[in-house]
Amino acid sequence: METPVLELRDISKNFGMTRALSHMSISLFPGEVHAIVGENGAGKSTMIKIMTGIYPPSSGILQVDGVTTVISGPQMAREKGIVAIYQEPMVFPDLDVAENIFISSTREGFVQNPGKLRHKAKQLLARVGISLDVERIASGLTLAEQQAVEIARALSQDVRVLIMDEPTASLSAHEAAQLRRIATKLAEDGVSVVYISHRLEEVFDIAHRVTVIRDGEHISTRPVSEVTSDGMISEMVGREFESLFEKSPSVAQSEVILEVKDLAVDEIFSGVSFDLHYGEVLCMAGLVGARRTDIALAIFGIHPASSGTITFKGQPLVITSAAQAMKAGIAYVSEDRRKFGLAMPMPIRDNITLATLGEFLSRWGLVNRRKEVEVAEAFRKRLNIRTPDIELPAGMLSGGNQQKVMLAKWLNMKPDLLIFDEPTRGVDVGAKAEVHDLIREFVAAGGAAIVISSDLPEVLAMGDRILVMREGTQMGILSHEEASQENIMALATGQASAKEVA
Amino acid sequence: MTNPNAGSAHSSKSLFAKLRSWEAFLTFALILIILVNSTLIPQYFTIANQINLFQLSIEKVIVALVMTFVIINAEIDLSVGSIMGLAACLFGWLFQNGISAEMAIVIVMIAGGLAGALNGYFIAIVGLPSLVVTLATLIGFRGLARVLVEDRGITGFPDWFDALGQQGLIGPVPFSFFAFIVLFIIAFIILHRSAFGRLTYTIGNNREVAEFAGVNTAAVKMKIFISSGLVAAFAGLLYAARVGAVRGDVALGFELDIITLVLLGGVSIFGGSGTMVGTLLALLIVLNLRNGMALMNVTGHIQTGVIGLLLIVSVVLPRLELTRLFNSHNSQGTKQ
Repeated sequence: METPVLELRDISKNFGMTRALSHMSISLFPGEVHAIVGENGAGKSTMIKIMTGIYPPSSGILQVDGVTTVISGPQMAREKGIVAIYQEPMVFPDLDVAENIFISSTREGFVQNPGKLRHKAKQLLARVGISLDVERIASGLTLAEQQAVEIARALSQDVRVLIMDEPTASLSAHEAAQLRRIATKLAEDGVSVVYISHRLEEVFDIAHRVTVIRDGEHISTRPVSEVTSDGMISEMVGREFESLFEKSPSVAQSEVILEVKDLAVDEIFSGVSFDLHYGEVLCMAGLVGARRTDIALAIFGIHPASSGTITFKGQPLVITSAAQAMKAGIAYVSEDRRKFGLAMPMPIRDNITLATLGEFLSRWGLVNRRKEVEVAEAFRKRLNIRTPDIELPAGMLSGGNQQKVMLAKWLNMKPDLLIFDEPTRGVDVGAKAEVHDLIREFVAAGGAAIVISSDLPEVLAMGDRILVMREGTQMGILSHEEASQENIMALATGQASAKEVA
Repeated sequence: MTNPNAGSAHSSKSLFAKLRSWEAFLTFALILIILVNSTLIPQYFTIANQINLFQLSIEKVIVALVMTFVIINAEIDLSVGSIMGLAACLFGWLFQNGISAEMAIVIVMIAGGLAGALNGYFIAIVGLPSLVVTLATLIGFRGLARVLVEDRGITGFPDWFDALGQQGLIGPVPFSFFAFIVLFIIAFIILHRSAFGRLTYTIGNNREVAEFAGVNTAAVKMKIFISSGLVAAFAGLLYAARVGAVRGDVALGFELDIITLVLLGGVSIFGGSGTMVGTLLALLIVLNLRNGMALMNVTGHIQTGVIGLLLIVSVVLPRLELTRLFNSHNSQGTKQ
């Protein structure tokens, strides 16, 4: 049998009292795409950090090419050809694309030749399959473009094991497909690709073998041909699972809560018109750069609209600040937890009460901590936020649980309209279903929701109607009956107009 | 790196958790300094010395309270020393020009608030970096102070004013000490118990998150800088009362001592963390250390060197601690 390029044997990892990994064994062979699936908090990230030398294991051994090796740090992992790219791209915002790609490369010599560097960067980006001006400054790139830069950076080093931790979480469908092609190609070139994703259809698309882990333990490793979607999900969550992406019956009422007419922000988007009923979920679909988030930010008052009208609950509204939108009953859950969503070092409790701090004041503007704890504890139970303590920093939680904390923050405001931007990005299957249920509960209780999502199955499962955007232009609104993955994509890519698909 | 001992980490965790608090470390350091001082120096524990050690630095200590807010908010105010100087000089100038001391105090306090508002305007509303803005006003306010008073001192303030700074209010304890206690209690309650304090931390951690939660972050920053100006002006007046004279160089360079106190107290220069008790412990440490060294006839330069060393230690130690914490405690997703 072939020697695995990297093998974990009986690895355990403890963090204080918590055991993140327990007797984990896994072998990675050259030329295979090995998918690792598991819920958030199952131990995937810890495993990656052990493979890349960020954490030392508490016990167990690592073997590289059959030789027991101590990987003492990320630098050494890189020397061994083990590179990880994460779901949140790590780029240096003030450097340009080429500099970002070669940031850790010493091979270019002490004095770098910018022309040569740019040329090489272009070649690498061509391998990634994206055309990008290599002199652009990274802070102006979209998440998807930053991701591409990171992959190019990994390619610039001689990768033997490329670990991709949810690389497609922030990519639109066709970019994700492109990325999967790259992963497959790298594997054909003899690289061992570790692919972590919550999009199970991706796993079936590219993986050769699938490992399921749960609660830090190895559950199974099988060739992909022996795995079924339902079987994999029930192994991940440890219980039987009803079909996830079935559309629930609509609870939309006839009364309109929000009417948007010809909304525009100069040079960003224009001509956006739709209405939204009580009890309805309107999904906004589109590729990265479709400007869906910008519409949300205009309605929420962060970047006020430059023209157009918003009528909310029968009243014309000119919204110029978030505080104003919140007062009217509009809440916006951001797609970027780290930048706009949570104060990561602060306690979960503080994050939950941030948007509604006014409710927790006793006399003289002092915060009533007991009331805060009550509310935060209630949300922990209601939303099933998995944490030993609500006083822990929000940053200690897994992605899905961070998402729930953000949701708790906004649900406590008791909004009438909830705008949810990429509600399940980087969230595991179990938590995804929970978040979907929470949105349904919210609209069933008389609210209305706008869900922005790049995940087409999610759009189809959640949306009573689906508004498709493309590069700042509204392409059309599809009813749930009309919509399919194909016609949404056709609109989003500009291959068809609304009349043709309807 | 296999580490067979890591499994035992949790057995020592409770002790470790207690020790890792910066405040606990400062308390330990303070007790040590007091023990050494009281063993080596017979006159250390006299009431006169204890009052003296406080009174000599009371102005800086008071401004450190509001600087704690500024730095937790992820800003810096380099102009406090100059505002103190300007306040003292403005008081002297007004008094010299025939305005009553009472009236002059009111005008000086208003001027302090305005000086803070000027900083606040450029930082919170225009959005310039506080380092640059307050560096500019550090120069500007100092210049104004020197223009008002030039290089001659102004003295001859009313007796009640001088007495406020130089004599005991109740027994031997001066007015400034009570002012400090009151301000400390107010600062503690605002920072740790009020919504304003919570927002100070949140904005210091991530201004965007606060903005997205509908918080008027500019207003919070504005209030902090106005308070900084007011408290610095008050401290400048205390200085004038204690010394009984003002000159253009009053409180020159104080801002660095004040920032040192706050950082030593465990407030992160990047904002978002720190406590009022940390600042209190830090200033007690510095006061007692300086006092001890002075009584043992250590020269001023060496004293300053020791304080500098202390600051380096205070910046390095928590960093080491954090690295350890990060390696042993953290799960995914924490800001690195």
